[in-house]
Amino acid sequence: METKSKPRARTAKKAIALTVSNPFMPTECKVTKFERQTTDTYTLKLSAKLVHEPGQFVQVTLPRVGECPISISSYSGEELELNIKQVGNMTNALAELRKGDTVYIRGPYGKGYPVKELKGNNLIMIGGGCGIAPLKGIIEYVERHRADYGKIQLFFGCRTPEDLLFKEHHNRWKDKFDLSLSVDQNPANTCFEGNVGFVTAMLEKASLEKDGSVAFMCGPPKMMAAAAQVLHAKGFHDDQIFVSAERLMYCAIGKCCHCMIREKFTCIDGPVFRYDEIGGIQE
Amino acid sequence: MTAAYSMNRANLNPFLSAIAGDFELIAPVRTDIVRFEAVSDPAKICLDEQPFFPLKEFFFRKHEVILKFDGKRFTAPLKKAPKRVFFGVRRCDLNGVLHQDMVFSSGVADPYYAAQREDSLLIGFHCNEAPSEHCFCGSLDLKDFHDLMFFDRGEAYLVQVGSGKGAAFLKKFKKFFTASDYAVTDEDRFIEGVDKLKVKDISGVYDNPGWKPMVDACLSCGACTTLCPTCYCFELREVPSLQDESSERVREWSSCQLKEFTKVSGGFVYRESREDRFKHRIFHQLDYFKEKNGVNLCVGCGRCITGCPTRIDFVTGINEMKA
Repeated sequence: METKSKPRARTAKKAIALTVSNPFMPTECKVTKFERQTTDTYTLKLSAKLVHEPGQFVQVTLPRVGECPISISSYSGEELELNIKQVGNMTNALAELRKGDTVYIRGPYGKGYPVKELKGNNLIMIGGGCGIAPLKGIIEYVERHRADYGKIQLFFGCRTPEDLLFKEHHNRWKDKFDLSLSVDQNPANTCFEGNVGFVTAMLEKASLEKDGSVAFMCGPPKMMAAAAQVLHAKGFHDDQIFVSAERLMYCAIGKCCHCMIREKFTCIDGPVFRYDEIGGIQE
Repeated sequence: MTAAYSMNRANLNPFLSAIAGDFELIAPVRTDIVRFEAVSDPAKICLDEQPFFPLKEFFFRKHEVILKFDGKRFTAPLKKAPKRVFFGVRRCDLNGVLHQDMVFSSGVADPYYAAQREDSLLIGFHCNEAPSEHCFCGSLDLKDFHDLMFFDRGEAYLVQVGSGKGAAFLKKFKKFFTASDYAVTDEDRFIEGVDKLKVKDISGVYDNPGWKPMVDACLSCGACTTLCPTCYCFELREVPSLQDESSERVREWSSCQLKEFTKVSGGFVYRESREDRFKHRIFHQLDYFKEKNGVNLCVGCGRCITGCPTRIDFVTGINEMKA
C-alpha cells in the first residue's frame, strides 16, 4: 500500500482537453450482418447510421491490422453498408468479421456524386466490378426520389457471372430502371443471359440521350477512360461525366498527400470529380 | 504590428539567458552540424549559418503515436509541448512554420500539430546576407511572420514586433530593450542575391524537356522532402504489440518521392515514374499549393538542393528551360 504520495515529476506533460474533436479517432460500431457476395467480395452491414451522400467513403479500422477507405453503398441515415473486395491485408481481415463483431469507423468523407444537384436529368450509371458498390448508393437514393429524375440507365459489368454484385437486387432494378449487364467472359456452364464483352461495348450500342443526361461512373481506370471515350463520341461533354477516382487515402482530411491528383486531394475534393476537374482518368 | 525596439548588442546573451530561465529556449547550436536544439547557455548559439534542419520536427513530429488501443478501446495520447521560445529562426523557416500552420490548422485542424505549436514563440533573425549558396527566398512571396524579429545592426539589434504575443513577451523582458520610433522597411528585409528563381509561374513548363537531366540525376531518396521546412506528406501505420492485445497507430513522415507513396490496393502505383514523382514535388511546392492557398508552399531555403546527394539544382534547371 502506498503511504506517501509521490511528488509529481516537474517534467510531466499535462494532457490537454481537446477543443475540437480528434479527426483521427474512430468510433466503435458493431457488425449487424456479414454476407458473401462472390468468392472475393462481401457485404458488411454496420450498426452506425451516418448521414452521407452517395459516393462518399468511410475509414474503417480493425485494431492491430490497420485502417483503409471503403465506399458506402447504402442510403443515408440507414444502417451503413460496405461492399468490400478482398485485395489486401485489411480487406482480408475484414472478411473474418461476423455479426456482433466490433469494428471502428470515422467519416463520412469526401464529395459524393452530385445526385441532388442534378435533379431533373436522365441518369446513366456505368460500373465495373466492385465499382458498382458506390453506384448502388445512388440507386438507393433515386429509388426513393424516382420522380425527380428522367430515364435511368444502368450499365454494369464484371469479369464473369460469378463476380456479379447485388444479384438479389437485379430483378427490382430491372423493373424500375433500364439495367444492362455484361461479363468479360462467360464460361459454358452458367445460366447468365446478359451480354458478353466489356461494359463499353454495351454502352456503344445503347441509345443515350446526350441532352439533359449525366453519367456517373465507378470502376477500373481503364474502364472509366474507355467509357468516357464512348460518351464523348456520342456527344457528351466533360461536364456531364462524373467519375470516382481511386486513390489510397490515409488521413482522409486533406493532409497526408497520398491521394493527390495534381493539386486536388481525392479525400476532400473527391473521390467523385467532374471529368474535366481532374483532366480525365490516369490509366 | 510595426512597433520597433532596439537592443544593445551586449544585452543579447543576458536576454537569452533570462528566456532560458523561464522557458525552453531552442536555438541553432553547432554540434556535428548546426541544428536547432534546446540550449541553456546562449554562448553556444551559432548564428553564422543556416541550420541544417528546419523547425518542422518541433511541431510536426517525424514519429508520433496518435492513437493507442488497449484491447478494448482507443485513446489519444495527446500531450501539449512545454512553453518554448525559438530564437534565431530565418525568414524562410518562419514562413515554413506559417505554411505548415496553413496545412495543419485549416480545414479539419490537426490536434497533434496544435499541441506542439500552440505554446511556442518565434523570434526571427534576419539574414544580412544569404547563409547558403542555394538560398532563393527572394523569389518567393514571403511574409513577415514572427513574434519578434531581430535585425543585426552591428552595435545594436533592431527588433521588430510581429504579434500581440511578441509584444507581451517583449514587455516581460523590457529591461533589455529600448523603444524606437523606427519602422522596418523593405530595404531592411532585403537580402542580396536571393531572387534566383526567374520563372515565377511554372505552370507552363510541366512538359518541358528540361526536366530530364534533373530526373535522371534523382535517386528518389527523399532527402529533399525530409529537409524541407514545408513538406508534410505522412504515413499512418498500425503497430500491433507482440506481447498483448494492444496496438498503436503511428504517424510518420513520408515522401512523395518514394514509389510506394501512391500505391493502392492491388499494387497499382499512380506515380510510378521517377519523372512524375520528381515533378509532383516541385509542382506541389511551386504551383499546386498556390492554387488553393494563394501562396507557394516553397519558402526558398534551398535545403532540398544542399541536402540532395546528387545536388539537383532545380532552380537553375527551371531558369535554363527553353520555351
